[in-house]
Amino acid sequence: MDILLFGAVAEKAGASILHLEATSVDALRQALIARIPDLAHMRYAIAVDRQVVHHDRPLHGGEEIAVLPPFAGG
Amino acid sequence: MSSAQPHQVKDIFLDGPIDPAFVGASLAKHATRTDIGAHEIFLGQVRADAIGGAAVQAIEFTAYRAMALERMTLIREEAFARWPQLTCLHVHHSLGVVKAGELCFMVFASAPHRIAAREAVAWLVDRIKAELPIFGKEVRSDRTHVWKRNS
Repeated sequence: MDILLFGAVAEKAGASILHLEATSVDALRQALIARIPDLAHMRYAIAVDRQVVHHDRPLHGGEEIAVLPPFAGG
Repeated sequence: MSSAQPHQVKDIFLDGPIDPAFVGASLAKHATRTDIGAHEIFLGQVRADAIGGAAVQAIEFTAYRAMALERMTLIREEAFARWPQLTCLHVHHSLGVVKAGELCFMVFASAPHRIAAREAVAWLVDRIKAELPIFGKEVRSDRTHVWKRNS
């Protein structure tokens, strides 16, 4: 699945989209840290279908997934 | 959570800084609405914070547009539910480079009386800063950068 990256996370990854496979949000977090080791020391949230998720949940592959560093609007 | 589509998604984003003349023009458009008795306008300006001696010269804003507009639609609907007296509400946020001293954020509410407009704007500014996925790269005078974060 394609993972959308933004801001400081995209900068660390050197890309704005990553392709990863994961069947749950927790598995996705592990796969992300394996790919972007700096993420282990960063604050970020994961959004599934444009909603921030606070708990693990299954992923089926059709979701829109994004990794969001702290917001800075305003 | 309802799966219903929001009935109206407005694009709040514009490229570059918000021109003060745009603020004036927005205000002027309300002259025909004589049921309005109060406007409340919040304007965010890029501040030249000095971080370790190097001042912020500009902020480069990016956003996760689809999520930001979806959240903004929900926040807007909640604002009208909380303050049914609101006549209208306009929100704009910059994307791209905005230099120190330029405007990057505008929340503009109008109502027959001041209390609803004032309360709604204060509430909206807080909600937007906390919930919209907008990111800001602060570019400093020594060409380094820091990622802004709202507390």
